[in-house]
Parts: sequence; structure tokens; C-alpha cells
Amino acid sequence: MNERHETILVVDDEPQIRRFLRTSLAAHGYGVLEASNGADALRLASSERPDLMVLDLGLPDSDGLDVLKGLREWSHMPIFILSVRQAEAEKVKALEAGADDYVTKPFGTAEFVARVKSALRRRVQGAPGEPVFVVGGLQFDLARRVVTIDGAEIHLSPKQYRLLQMLVQNAGKVVTHEQLLREIWGADHTEDVQYLRVFVRKIRNKIEADPARPRYLLTELGVGYRLRAPDQLPDA
Amino acid sequence: MHRWHILDLESFWTRLIALRWMGRYADIRHVGYPASAGLVAVSWAAAAFIFHFVQLPDLGIVFLPAVLLSAILWGRGPSLWAAMLSVAISSLLYHPAEGLVEQTAEFIDTILFVGVAIAGSDLAAHIRRQADEATHRETMMAQLYAFSRRLAGIGDPDELFRAIVEHLRAVLRTDVVLLVPVGSELVVAAGSSAAFSPQDKAAAEGLWAGQSARPAELTLLAGWQFRTLRSGRTNVAMLAAHDGGGFRDSKVLRDYLDSLLDQAAVAIERTQLARAYEDARVRAKTESLREALLNSISHDLQTPLASIVGSATALQSFEGLYDSEARGELVATIREEAERLHHIIGNILDLTRIKAGDISPRLEVVELSDIMNAALRRTRRSLADHQLAVLIPADLPMLRLDLFLMEHALVNLLENASKYAPKGTRIEVAARVEDGNMLIDVTDSGVGISSMDMERIFDRFVRAATTDARPAGSGLGLTICRAFVEANGGHVEAYSLGPGKGATFRIRLPVPEASASLDTAVHDE
Repeated sequence: MNERHETILVVDDEPQIRRFLRTSLAAHGYGVLEASNGADALRLASSERPDLMVLDLGLPDSDGLDVLKGLREWSHMPIFILSVRQAEAEKVKALEAGADDYVTKPFGTAEFVARVKSALRRRVQGAPGEPVFVVGGLQFDLARRVVTIDGAEIHLSPKQYRLLQMLVQNAGKVVTHEQLLREIWGADHTEDVQYLRVFVRKIRNKIEADPARPRYLLTELGVGYRLRAPDQLPDA
Repeated sequence: MHRWHILDLESFWTRLIALRWMGRYADIRHVGYPASAGLVAVSWAAAAFIFHFVQLPDLGIVFLPAVLLSAILWGRGPSLWAAMLSVAISSLLYHPAEGLVEQTAEFIDTILFVGVAIAGSDLAAHIRRQADEATHRETMMAQLYAFSRRLAGIGDPDELFRAIVEHLRAVLRTDVVLLVPVGSELVVAAGSSAAFSPQDKAAAEGLWAGQSARPAELTLLAGWQFRTLRSGRTNVAMLAAHDGGGFRDSKVLRDYLDSLLDQAAVAIERTQLARAYEDARVRAKTESLREALLNSISHDLQTPLASIVGSATALQSFEGLYDSEARGELVATIREEAERLHHIIGNILDLTRIKAGDISPRLEVVELSDIMNAALRRTRRSLADHQLAVLIPADLPMLRLDLFLMEHALVNLLENASKYAPKGTRIEVAARVEDGNMLIDVTDSGVGISSMDMERIFDRFVRAATTDARPAGSGLGLTICRAFVEANGGHVEAYSLGPGKGATFRIRLPVPEASASLDTAVHDE
């Protein structure tokens, strides 16, 4: 049960979606606020200060993206977006506008709630504070700039290290191709996704037991990459 | 030598007449005069020779062959010249005219010679003309035959119109425009002339509308001659030839043109009928396909919905009756059937996109394992009841693919395998490179495919018969899989040892050669 009594703001114009989200989240002890349009969402967000927001991109009165951008001007709360399959461009834009994660409809409630919990926990822990990040057998010492896998140190080139570092700093969340390319190769190379893929393959060859079925460095097809947070491991 | 079938000109004389001896290499008129003079000289020599032995009173007759030959070979001018020379030589040298009788005789001789010259040359010219006409007719007949053969071989209407216009332009030696009816107006189908103005077109349309059952009418309007092409009793097109074209020439040409235009009309009608038939056939096929699609959609959507509504209403109405296990089962049914519904709707949407020709793949250089893992993630629940073995080596070359089309294709293969393989059996996913191609195999030990069905499984709405209660899919999965794989430049094949012996579905994709160089091009310091 949730002793901290965190509140979650659910923004979706479909009452059925709001209903089942409300029911499930309330059952896990979260307080639930609802809004059915962008204007109400922004108003409630500023007046009630929820701990997390679930935002549907297909709102009737405004572009979900605008709500997101508006919110990000003053708030750092975790924001999950809801979208439909094969709207990858939309998802990428939202992630780059500041969303933390996306959920594709239809989705299973159990996975959704797990992700919500994980995001709230991370927030409480305060992300960049930890110098050593551990997930499974992968250990990332940000202070000493040393990466070990199952105890053995591995050598990474500066760019490889930088990429892993970015993923670690956003552990559990999706980082888009463009964000990675811009950060590591510069603004001129944001279209070179194929280079990024080759790059990621090299990194996987170093840290994954089976690079073809990665455990840590996951691909979000068409969107970007995600480093699994400890609570996202399959056997966690 | 030509063969003159039409005039039966087999005799030596007519062959000679038709011959353009010496005239072939030079203008007849220039050659004829000196040549005929030469002949006269030869005759003179002959006359002298004869005179040496026999003092014939009248040697004029010796010169006659020369005059006749000149008439035949070189025409009127040279033969008259020869006649004049002959008279002069024979009378002056051998027969000086003294008395009136002799002078009259000389006069008669002259007239005779001239007469022979003229008659001979006219006759020869006439025969030559007839022979020329015969050749010309034969050439035109050959052309007509070639034209009709060519027309018969053309299936495409536009090509047909172009061929007709081209040929007519060559025959008539003028601009030609072909108009065909589209709805109630005439449209220029082939041939374009800057001189064919909208007013001319309006005039043509006026004529067309006014056409009655009368056969091909020839009308002259504003510098254009119009002619309607008819096949049987139908007007199929209208021809316009620019000002002074060959419509008015000799009868032979007119007959030829008539035959040509008849051929053209028949060919045009033929292509129009063929097109109408094809349209009707396609329409009928589309109708039956739409019918099948609607039936399929209706059935495939209603079935899972029935389970969902049934289970949900059971939970609502008889709540107190169920223990937690029973409740769990009902809820599980709702979930599974809803997911099946989701999958079927996805397939139907894909099919609509395929039919609309709307698969424009966005090809990028991608990692096969990424696509494979995404597909496995999506089908995790369906595959939960089977033993899944994934044999994908780590360093496969990258491929140029559309991510989502290929993911879709793989999901469909995996769903298929889970549907037709009994629970607990092994489903294997493997990938390898062979001969510059990437081979991706999805193998199950399920119901298999009979050799009869092998050709049909990729067709729409074909499903394997299932013996258990598990409903078969919409029959679209493999169709979509194939369409998406082919859009990526690959192929899908199915292999099976027979019913009950499982099946392997193989996706074959080309491995781009640039893969190797990509590795080294990555800026990695």
C-alpha cells in the first residue's frame, strides 16, 4: 500500500480509459485526479501538483504535445504519454518534448502500474545523485568512469561510454535516436540512425551475454533505446 | 526482273518496254538523243553494207527498226529525232528526190517514220505506265498487309492509335489527327497538329453527332478533311487530314485508303471491346472480393466478441456463484479474446492498406535482432504455451528493411505457428546467412501443410482446417506477411513434410553489400 499517498493525474478524453485507470491506480493506493481535455489538465496540474501525469496524445481540444510543452516549462513531474501503435513519429516528438515514457494502447494494466511505480520510485531516489548504477550484472561507476560486467572491467571508447552514460542517466526510460545522436555526435548528425545502430551493436557485444537477445540495452523499435532499470529486469 | 502477275507481262517485248535501259543511270532525255543517233548510225552502216551488194531503190526501210527501238527505249523525242535523221540520210544519200513521184514517196516515207515514232513511243509509254501502276499496287498491297498484321498485334489502345496515325501520315504525306469518342465528345487520341484548333475539334464533333447510318463520309471543313471510321454499323473514330492530303488522289489510292481505314476501324473496335471486357471482369472480381472480406470480417469479429460479452456478463450477473478459479478463467477468456480481436483488426487494417497500394516502405539499415525481439515481445502471450527456441547468432549483417512492415510479417508468422502447433510443442525461430541472403525460419511441429494446400496458403481467406476447438484466424495473416516481405524486397516460402508433420516458413531477404563498409564508417573515437 502507498503510505506517501501520491496523486496521479489522468488525462484522456475517453471515459472508459479513465475509468479503468482510476480503478486500478486507486486499488494500488494512489490518489487519482481526472481531466478530459488539455485546458483542465494544465489547470489541475498547477493547482493540485500531482506526482505523475498520464497524458493521452489524442486530446480533442489541443495537441497533447502542446500540453506537454506547457507543463515542462515549470514542472519536472514524470509524464507518461498514451498513444496508439504505429504513431512512432508522434511518440518520438513527445519524448523529445520532455515525456518520460510512452504506453501504447491497448496496454495491460499490470505492466502500466509497474512502470508508474518505477517512475515514482526513481523520482523519490533523486536520479543523478547516485554515483554507482547497478542493474543485474552491469555496474556503471559514474565517478570513476569504470564499467564492469559480472565483475570484469570492460573497455569502452569515449563515445561508447558517453552513450551508455546517457542511457544510465535516464535509466528505465526511452532515449530517442535523435537525442543520442545530438548528444554524442552533434546536431549535424541527427539523421544518421544507421550509424547509431552499428554503434549500439558494438556496445552490446561488450556488455551482453547474448547480444542478439539483450538483457540490459533494449531497443524501442523506431523510437530509441532504453537501459533497463533494476526493477525492470524480467526476474526482478 | 519483277514478276508481273497482274498484267502477265511475260513476253520479251513487254519486258523490254518496261526496261529502263540506260535511262536508269541518266535522265532519259539526255541519253536518248545521242543514243538514238547512234542507232541511226548503225542502221546507216547496215544500209551501206546492203547497198554495196544490192542497189535497193528504197533503203528507208533499214532505218525503221532504229526508229522503233528509239521509240520503245527512249520515248517520243529521241524517236522523232531518229526519224528525222533516218529520212535525211536515206533520202539525201541514197535516194535523192528528183521527180514529183519520188518526192511524194519521200514525203510518205517521212510520214511513215514519224507515225511509227509517235505510235511506238506512245504505246511503249502506255505499257510502261501500266507496269508502274501494277508495281505500285503490289507495293501498296504489301504495305496494307503489313499494316493489318501490325495492328492485329497491338493490344494497347494508345499504341494502336499512334500506329494508325503514323502510317497514315506516311501514306498521305500530311498531318493527321485521330479522334475517338469519350462520352459525348471527341478527344484527340493520337497525332497532334498545332493547326488543329478547338474550332476544328468542334466542327468534328458536330459532324460526328450528325452521322447517320451512311458509310464513311468525306467532308472538307476549314482546311481539314474529315473521315469517319466505321466497323460494321458502329462509328468508332474520326480521322482528320490536313488540307490537301491524299484523300483526293487516284482511285487506286482511294481504294487503298479505304482498306486501311477499315482495318484501323476494326482494330480500334477490337481494343475498345477488350477494354470493356477487362473492366467488367475486374469489377466482378472486386465485388466478390469485397463480399468475401465483409463476410470474413463479420465472422471473425463476432466470434471473439461473443466470448467477451458472454464472460463479462456472466461475471456481472452471477457474481456470487463463482469461486476465484472460475472467475479467473472468465477473466482470462476476456483478455485472450480481446487480444485476438486486436490482432484481427490489425490484419484487416493492413489488408486495406495493401489493397490501397499504400505500402511505401521506409527502408533503413536495421538490426534483425531488434525487429525479432520486438515481434517476440508482441507475441509473448500467444507463445507462452509453447517451447520457444530462438537461434539468432550475434553478428548477423545488418539489413535494409522497413522496421514495422517486417515486424508485422514476423508477428504474423509467430501467431500462425502458435495457432497451429499444439500446446507444449516446440516453436523455433532461426536466422542465418546463405549465398548473400538472410534466411529467417519459423518452424513448428503442428498441423503441417498438404502439398495441395501449399500453393493456396498465401491466398486471402485460406485457412487450414483445425481439429480442435481453437478458432482459426481470418486467413489474412500469411497474405499480409507475404505482401510486407515482398515490399521489403524479399520472399516468403513454406515448407512442410505433410499434414501433421509441422511446417517451416522461410523469409528470404537480400543482404546489402554496404553492410561491411558501414561498420568502418562509424566515427568511433
